[in-house]
Parts: sequence; structure tokens; C-alpha cells
Amino acid sequence: MVNRDIFGLNAVQRQSLVISLTAFFTSLLLIALVSVLILISFRGTAYFWPEPIYKVTGTLPDSSRFSVLANIFEDASEEDITLKYSDVNHPFGFQKQIDRKQLLSANLALESAEIKLLDGRRVMAIPEHIVVPSKPPQPLDNIGAVLQDVALITAQIEDLNTEHLAPIHEALSQFDKRDVVEDAPAREKLVAAFNEYQKRVEALENTRAQYRLLVSFADGSPFIIPISSIQDVDFVSRLTTFEKWQVVFSEIGVFLSDSPKQANTSGGVFPALFGTVLMVFLMTIIVTPFGVLAAIYLSEYAPNTALTTIIRVSVSNMAGVPSIVYGVFGLGFFVYTLGGSIDELLFSDTLPAPTMGSPGVFWAALTMAILTLPVVIVATEEGLRRVPDGLKAGSYALGATKVETIIRTVLPIASPGIMTGVILAIARAAGEVAPLMLVGAVKFAPTLPIDGEFPYLHLDRQFMHLGVLIYDGAFHSQTDGKSASMMFAACLLLLIVVFVLNILAVLLRTRLRKRYLKG
Amino acid sequence: MLKLFEHNTLNVKDISEEQTAVEVKNLNLWFGNKHVLNDISMRIPKNKITALIGQSGCGKSTLISCFNRLNDLYDGCKYNGEIIIDGRNINSRKVNVSRLRTNVGMVFQRPNPFPMSIYENVCYGLRLQGVKVRRHLDDAVEGALKQAALWDEVKDRLFESAQVLSGGQQQRLVIARALALKPDILLLDEPTSALDPLTTLFIEELMDVLKKQCTIVIVTHNMQQAARVSDYTAFFHQGRLIEYADSDTLFTMPEKKQTEDYITGRYG
Repeated sequence: MVNRDIFGLNAVQRQSLVISLTAFFTSLLLIALVSVLILISFRGTAYFWPEPIYKVTGTLPDSSRFSVLANIFEDASEEDITLKYSDVNHPFGFQKQIDRKQLLSANLALESAEIKLLDGRRVMAIPEHIVVPSKPPQPLDNIGAVLQDVALITAQIEDLNTEHLAPIHEALSQFDKRDVVEDAPAREKLVAAFNEYQKRVEALENTRAQYRLLVSFADGSPFIIPISSIQDVDFVSRLTTFEKWQVVFSEIGVFLSDSPKQANTSGGVFPALFGTVLMVFLMTIIVTPFGVLAAIYLSEYAPNTALTTIIRVSVSNMAGVPSIVYGVFGLGFFVYTLGGSIDELLFSDTLPAPTMGSPGVFWAALTMAILTLPVVIVATEEGLRRVPDGLKAGSYALGATKVETIIRTVLPIASPGIMTGVILAIARAAGEVAPLMLVGAVKFAPTLPIDGEFPYLHLDRQFMHLGVLIYDGAFHSQTDGKSASMMFAACLLLLIVVFVLNILAVLLRTRLRKRYLKG
Repeated sequence: MLKLFEHNTLNVKDISEEQTAVEVKNLNLWFGNKHVLNDISMRIPKNKITALIGQSGCGKSTLISCFNRLNDLYDGCKYNGEIIIDGRNINSRKVNVSRLRTNVGMVFQRPNPFPMSIYENVCYGLRLQGVKVRRHLDDAVEGALKQAALWDEVKDRLFESAQVLSGGQQQRLVIARALALKPDILLLDEPTSALDPLTTLFIEELMDVLKKQCTIVIVTHNMQQAARVSDYTAFFHQGRLIEYADSDTLFTMPEKKQTEDYITGRYG
């Protein structure tokens, strides 16, 4: 008899040992999943939460005193705390880790505010009063009205620029191109008008510059902020919980609709969100017909030979190729070879500046399509295989040809399988970073790939991508806590995007399944 | 009078060419190296029900699949000999298989309605023919469903999924789907083997009505069914046609020992 005793346990004990071991590893998995979700959601939402401002005083190691307005962050270690502060040397915020023992006092600074600037920077300071041209200094309560006045002036300047200066400039450049003597009087008139409008703009800008907000820091040193650069003033330390939530929602709105500022450490992520969705959308359009048609050939038409088997195995193996390899392929083949040839054929007048021969959103979508093609093919084939032979025979028996049978019977029934493949492809493409950085995704793109200019969709443009933004943020985060939160917020958004896409697709798949398959 | 006419079955040897719906001449069929049908010759009479019986794997289902060339779908299927329908050899390469299949309807063992509405199921063949006029389709659907004795049960829910119907209803829907194309010949491949006895009876009665419009060839494992519904019966064994006669003769005084064994084995 074989001795099956392990550690001297009897059968029941052995069984419970196995059960507890397997359960243990399952719970480890659950813990890992839940902690990812908790960490991302917690750190991600912290980005939007208004932190109260404290007036902090303390001593530095060289025994000099300091006094700053700061957000206080508890550190993982007990001895240290992190201060994110503004003072006269660092008005736009700086970060410092200090020993708890160095801290002398930390009081909630009710009179201090967080002043958000339009360029994404923030100042923590005590607002004193507002300077307005030809009027006595205004109290702070009027900030709303003053902001409106300044916005009005800004609108006037914009108006002059677009309505008058730009057309005149355009007309002048036309004259310059023609270069005819008869134009001279008309040209002079235009130049005079241009100067006139320019003067008006300058006058408005001067007036605008006289609107200022005077603030002071904790040590009493003054600082001046032009009203035209202010986006918002929040007295964060005074806010009730409800008001804090209001701030959170307005911050979320800005995050979703605004462009990144200050090298992707503040502002919003709209271009990245848009770029991700557009790239995934283009990829889906490309990969779905390719994958489905290839799967139809493999499953319905290809003869059952060794070659077909080899092709099938290769397709499955392609799913395991490292994504950076696809990135290099995309760069080498699509961008340089294909894009370069297109440039030579169609855009030869702009060479050597590349049009299609440089990384762009179309090449990125094409590369991702190649990367996700195996997933779609395998899932579609699986779906096609699930179509009962009886149904196909029924269709043939009614006089349908093979093509008619595939279109009318096989494809509708296989559609849940096709959907599964497309979902997997989308989820993969939305989360991929490395190959995208080679073929078109950039840290910062000045323009969206879609705008009002013909041909509206600019497939050759570079684009921003949430994954790349997160990758970029991960480097900043080593030095700056606030941009770390921006990275986590972008992470949370990416998770939500992928979850929403998945849930939508699962719902669609369930609907299709209900419609086309017996329960 | 009608009864008398129905019992007026001819001896199979006396079936004339005009009375023949399908004439099989020296049909041989192989799947790969396996000789599945061995030199089959028979005349299947018009507007009668002909039953094909025999053990599983004796080739009877393969034979009716020859009548609408459904065997073409399988790799490695080779055949020779002639099958003549409407004076044409359908084994010829020149035959338009799609048109042949609209003329020779087929119902399978398991009900296989398409995952569409009842209406669309019945329309399937007509739409393939390019019929688009709504009124024509409506008329054809109503006619076919009435013929298949399903109309009263489904007329209020034509646009619901066919999947919700019961097994018997689904099988009648599949029959209606074939009838919508007004076929001359209807092939039934064990149509009731997946159904309960009551539904089976219902379908058998239906066949009796349908044979006025088309020739029915039924493959069945159920001896009683063959005896009950068919006018003629052919017994197959290992790819050969052993005995072919009118059902009364075949079931009461079979000529061959093999036939008798098979029939009595079932009865005993």
C-alpha cells in the first residue's frame, strides 16, 4: 500500500487543508483586486477634494523660523509630515517634508484662500483687497463682479482680434502676395485701420492689467496677482462639507473638459480622454471587418489542411507577441514605409516636412488594430463554431447559397462571439501605452485630431492618450504630490472608461444572445 | 370514395414514368472510402408517402439528402448514377442547386427554426428568391402556416421569436417554412423522433393532408409510423435497397427474410 499520509494528516484533515489552501489563494486574489480598486479610487478622488489651508510655523534645521500657508499631508512614517505651501519665494506652491518636532504650530487659516489661476497654477494666500482702475480699493466680497468685468474686457479684446485684426491681417498678406503698385493706397488705408484697432486692443489690455488682487502670505509679505489670470478663488478652510462637494464636482467638470496645464500636473485631461476614445473608435472600425472576414474564411471556407492549422496556430500566437514589437513594426512599416510612400505620391510639394510619414492617430489606430486582430479572429471563430450545423443545413435546404447562409443565419448567431472579441480588443487598446508612444501618442498635443478646419478629422495628427498621460505623471509624481493625484485621477478615469465600455458591450452581448440563441 | 382511392396503391413495379416523382438509377455514394449507398434504383411515386426504413447508418438519410444535393456540403462525398426529378438528372453539374432545393423541401430530425420571428422564418426562402412585396409575403406566410396547421396558434404573435414555440410547433413551423416555397417534393428526415406521441400523431395527420399537394419521402425508425402513414415502404440494409413495396405488402408479407427479421424484431 502506498503511504498517502502527508504531514501525518488523515483524509478529512487533508481535504480541509486543500480547501483552506485554495480558499486562501482565492482570497489573496480578491484582496489584490479590491486594494487596486480602493487605492485608485481613493488617491484618484483625493485630487478633487479641497484640502484645508493651515498657517504653519516651525523651525528649520539651521534653527531659523519659518511661517507658511500650507496643506498638511500625513506621511506614511510617524515622524514626518509633508507640507505643500506657498510663500514669497514659492508663490505657486512648493513641497517640503519636515520632522514633526520642527513644527511649532498649525492653525486653520480661515482668512486664507486657494487662488486657482487660468494656467493651472495655484496660490495659497490671504486676499487683502482688489485694486480697480479709477476707484477706491474694493473689498474681497466684490470678487465675483470684478471677475465679470475683467471677463467682459477680455471678450472685447478677443472680439477685436477675431473680427477686425485677423481679417485685416489676412487682406494685407493677400496684397503682399500680389505685390502690385496700384494696391498701395488701399493697403495704406488698411494699415492705418490695423494700427487703430491695435491701439484699441492695447488700451483695453492696459485697463485690464490695472485690475489686480493684492494678497499676502503668512509672514505678511505682499504679492500681486492680475485678476485676468484668475480662474477661481476658494476659501477652502471655511467650506462646509456640502460646499466642499460642490468644489469637487466643479473640479471634476474642469478635469473632464479642460486641457492639461503645467506639464500635465494640473488642469484637465479632455484631450487625452478624447484621443483615447477616438483611437479606440478608429481601431474598432478597422479591426472588426478585418477580423470577422478572416475568421469567416478560416472557419467556413479554408480547407482542413496542415496549412490552415499552421495559420490558426500563428494567429493565436500573435496574441502573445509583446506589444512593443507591434509598436516598432508600426513605426517601421506604417509610419516610415507606408506613410513615407504616401507623402512621396500625394504630398510631394511639402517634402521634406512629412505629412503622413510621421506618427499620427491613424497609424496608432492601425497598429492597435494589428495588435488586437488575433483576439477578434479567435473570438469570432469561436462564435462561428457555436452555430449549430442544423441551422446551416436548414438554410441550405431552403435554397440559400453559402454566402446567403453566412450573412442571414451564421453571422447573426455568431454576433455575441464577435462582440466578445471586439470588447476584448477595445479593453486592450484602451490600456496599451508602449506601442502608442512610438506611433503617435504624445505627452502633450497642441490640437485635437478633430476640429472645424477641412477635412475636420486630421488622421495625421499626433494625439494624447490617457495611458501615456499616466505614464508621464508617474515620473512627475516622484517629486510632486499634487501631480501624483492627477495621475491617480487619470488612472481612475481610464478604469472607468474601460469598465463602461466593457459593461456596455456585455449588455449588448446579452441582448444579442437572448435574441439569437436559446437559453 | 376517397378512401377507396387512397388504398389504390400500385405494385412498385407498375409505377409508370408519369407517376414517378423521383427516379433513382444505379446510385452509388461514398464518404471518403466508405461505400454508403450501393447501386440504389427505385421509383418514388407522385403524391404518395414513401417511407424509408432500416437500421441507423444504413444510408436512408443519405439517400434523401441526395434528392436535394445536401450531401454536397460534406467534404469527401462522391457519387455517381442518376436521380431524375422532372425529367432532369439532378446529379448533373449543370443543375442550379439553389433552385432544386426550393423545389425539394426538407425537414430535419431536430426542429431548427432560425433565431428570428415566426414571420421571418416562414419568409426566409421567399426573401432569398427576392420577394419583397409585403402583401405577397403576408399571403405566403398565412398560406404556409395554414397548410402546416399552425396558423391558429401563432396568428397573434407572428413577430415574436420562433424560439418560444414548443417542439411540436417548431417542427410544424419548419414544415411551413418549406411549404412556403411550394415544393413538389417534401423530404422528412425522422421528423417526429424528437417529439412526444401526441404531437407525432398531429404531424402524421398533417402529412396525410399534405400529400395531396406534394410527394412526401419520410425516413423513420418507427415501424408503426411507417405502417400507419406511408403508402410505400423501402427497407435498406448496409447501403443496399433490400426490399421496396407498397406498405401493406411489405409489413404483412415481406418477401425477404432480412425484412421480416427487421420488422418482427421491432414488433417482438
